[in-house]
Amino acid sequence: MRVTIDGSAVEVEPGTTILEAARQADTWIPTLCFDERLAPFGACRVCMVGVEGNPAPVPACTTPCRDGMNVDTQDPASRRVATAVVELVLSELPEPPAAHTELAQVAARLEVTDQPRWPGATHPVRQELDHPYLAFRHELCISCGRCVRACDEIQGAFALTAVGRGFEANVVAGMDSGFRESTCVSCGACADTCPTDAISERRLIEFGDVYATISGAGA
Amino acid sequence: MSRNLVEFARRGDATGAQTALEVLKQAVVDHREVTDEDRRRAAQISGLPEATVYGVSTFYDDLLAPVGRRHVRVCTGTACFAANGGAHADELRAGLGLEFGEVSDDGEVSLSETVCLGFCHSSPAVRSGDLIDAGDGAVARVLDDAATAAAEPAWRSLLPEPVLTKPGDWSGLRRALTELGAEALLTEVEEATVRGRGGAGFPAGTKWRFARNASGAPKYIVVNGDEGDPGSYIDKYLMEQNPVRLLEGVVLAGFAVGATRGFILTRSEYPRSKPVLERAIAQAHNDGWLGTNIQGSGFDFDIEVIEGAGSYVVGEETALLACLQGLRGTVSARPPFPAERGVHGLPTVVNNVETLANIPFIAAHGAAAYRALSPDSETNGSKLVCFNERFNAPTVVEVPFGITMRELCEEVAGGLRGGAGIKALQIGGPLGGILPASKLDTRFDFDDLAAEGCMVGHGSIVAFDERTNMRELAVHLLRFGAHESCGKCFPCRIGLRRAHDMFAAAEPVSRSRFEQLLDALELGSLCAHGSGMPAPLRSLLDHFPAELGLID
Ligand SMILES: Cc1cc2nc3c(=O)[nH]c(=O)nc-3n(C[C@H](O)[C@H](O)[C@H](O)COP(=O)(O)O)c2cc1C
Ligand code: SF4
Ligand code: SF4
Ligand code: FES
Ligand code: FES
Repeated sequence: MRVTIDGSAVEVEPGTTILEAARQADTWIPTLCFDERLAPFGACRVCMVGVEGNPAPVPACTTPCRDGMNVDTQDPASRRVATAVVELVLSELPEPPAAHTELAQVAARLEVTDQPRWPGATHPVRQELDHPYLAFRHELCISCGRCVRACDEIQGAFALTAVGRGFEANVVAGMDSGFRESTCVSCGACADTCPTDAISERRLIEFGDVYATISGAGA
Repeated sequence: MSRNLVEFARRGDATGAQTALEVLKQAVVDHREVTDEDRRRAAQISGLPEATVYGVSTFYDDLLAPVGRRHVRVCTGTACFAANGGAHADELRAGLGLEFGEVSDDGEVSLSETVCLGFCHSSPAVRSGDLIDAGDGAVARVLDDAATAAAEPAWRSLLPEPVLTKPGDWSGLRRALTELGAEALLTEVEEATVRGRGGAGFPAGTKWRFARNASGAPKYIVVNGDEGDPGSYIDKYLMEQNPVRLLEGVVLAGFAVGATRGFILTRSEYPRSKPVLERAIAQAHNDGWLGTNIQGSGFDFDIEVIEGAGSYVVGEETALLACLQGLRGTVSARPPFPAERGVHGLPTVVNNVETLANIPFIAAHGAAAYRALSPDSETNGSKLVCFNERFNAPTVVEVPFGITMRELCEEVAGGLRGGAGIKALQIGGPLGGILPASKLDTRFDFDDLAAEGCMVGHGSIVAFDERTNMRELAVHLLRFGAHESCGKCFPCRIGLRRAHDMFAAAEPVSRSRFEQLLDALELGSLCAHGSGMPAPLRSLLDHFPAELGLID
């Protein structure tokens, strides 16, 4: 099959998504809930693109290519949605994401730096720092589901789950008992994929209190 | 939906295990709360991981908080809001001295809100234990622990020969099995162009053909009985007053598609639906209309009933499939469509209750007779509509498409109580636009309503009289939208909360910022909850801007 992404033609296998085709063509499409190691999820909606003949934008990560499809990644409506969503996501965090995170990078690339247009409630701060290798800062979680899917699809440990619904949605380990009381095998797949550092690997610098935790004296 | 979790659910089903959701629901019945012990047990029985079960227990309203020996659920749906602006919920909170989600210190009573008990004809509705009381004095009776079961008005039909309101008699299935055969039945349904009555209007025959051609076996029929639209009690009537017609429609769908098993998902807000359907299923088994070798035809089909646990978005078809398998009721991106990968990853048709209730007539009388039911319209068949308590004669009525909204409101439902004027109507559920009184001559039909930013939807007609404050209505709608968001996609999860907070604050709302938010919801949302919630708000912006407290 042949599709056109921003004017350049690409040959793709049937079943290829628009996002995969764009990556094949070295064309950037913003993503937050996508990780090429995991099945597409379609949650963040920043990957919207225009498709010729379609009245509204479509999500690139879950839409299969059709032969002859003409995709516009700079489509104004799609960019409006992506920008709005990134603003909304930043508005739910009590502090801006660290500069090295995927979220911060996508925001920078979409030039979302101003005050959000829709301020309001942020996630309550809740940190679990009792695991030797993994830190969980729930307030930074944007419910992209990547960690839950990594634990399910890559590791098969099923230690994580989405919880709640609507604005209160979040992720927990085990029965909200933390990593240590869950089926977590400390593989780090969740931390590796997390786009905000809500789940992160504890850095060397923290080793002092890790030791304290292991020896039962701290946390 | 995670393929691994679906596989766990399939294995659990193959061994006859209860789903995790069933175990958790039973825990609330048994000891009035869900404990970690229950979650562990649910994981063990269902074969789902413990973390997954924990996630399930935090999704559904019915599982969230411990309940008292008498659990009171007050309806905060749109018909009950239209009745009194929500005063009944405040009276119950004050009278019981409880906030939503709380239990009295002695464990005797608890209070929660619920959205639509299907007594929208007699608002306000309150459920006390398993009794649903409604109308004048309901709050006082519930406070006195003296609730009585509210009456339900009889339904009626405007058709010369009633179709959907006529009791089912299996004659359509008899003809399909003995004369038509599966292929001819499917062709009749395709030619009848039965537009789905669950809201999206997709033709049933097209969906069935897709599932019939899909590879994979067994195949399933799933009946969407999750009628969550506040203001709707149409599917409730069909399931509880005409279960045989529905069952016949399900078996016909199974026969046409080549499926062997059907599931009906009912709502926990309608406690009577599941037992009524189960009795009708048992009777059908006795009479040889369900089970193996139905009426000697060689066709096998069985139906089971599964009850939900409190979530509006579970009515969305992929969320419905998740709920049915005992998982969190969040939406999944399509493709894959249920017709390819549905229950247990196998080809599945999802149809609305009323859609399927149309099929026996087509099977018995053919597509041409079906097309003739609405002579003044391009749309085929008849439609059930229902009216809220503001009207003089609120009930479920079978009507032809093409009738005007004015005829429906003024003649069929007798105008508003006390001679009040209609300020506006919300038609077809919470995702439907709002029609101002000046547009009452609009015809009740797909295209006519769409031209006014409205929809047929599921067919509920909720009238607001002149007392309704449109800013309060905006807050009411957005509170519902934000509360019910499944939390999967970002625009809806965050955007509906922001939209609600803009209107709930005692400050003017910037129209341009609000419209930018609606634009992101409409274009960006994963399902029609997020993309549809803007429709009634756009109507309010168009027709009642002065009441909304807007600035540029
Ligand atoms: C938020 C949301 C809620 C829905 N609720 C219902 C419902 O309660 N009942 C229903 O039949 N369809 C509901 N639907 C539509 C279903 O997704 C699906 O289109 C329908 O069940 C298909 O059946 P039909 O083709 O026979 O209408 C809902 C959709 C959305 C997005
Ligand atoms: S913890 Fe990170 S990876 Fe997991 S859902 Fe939250 S933001 Fe996504
Ligand atoms: S639009 Fe709302 S309800 Fe639908 S998938 Fe997104 S979050 Fe869930
Ligand atoms: S990357 Fe496509 S929806 Fe998130
Ligand atoms: S019973 Fe209250 S809205 Fe239906």
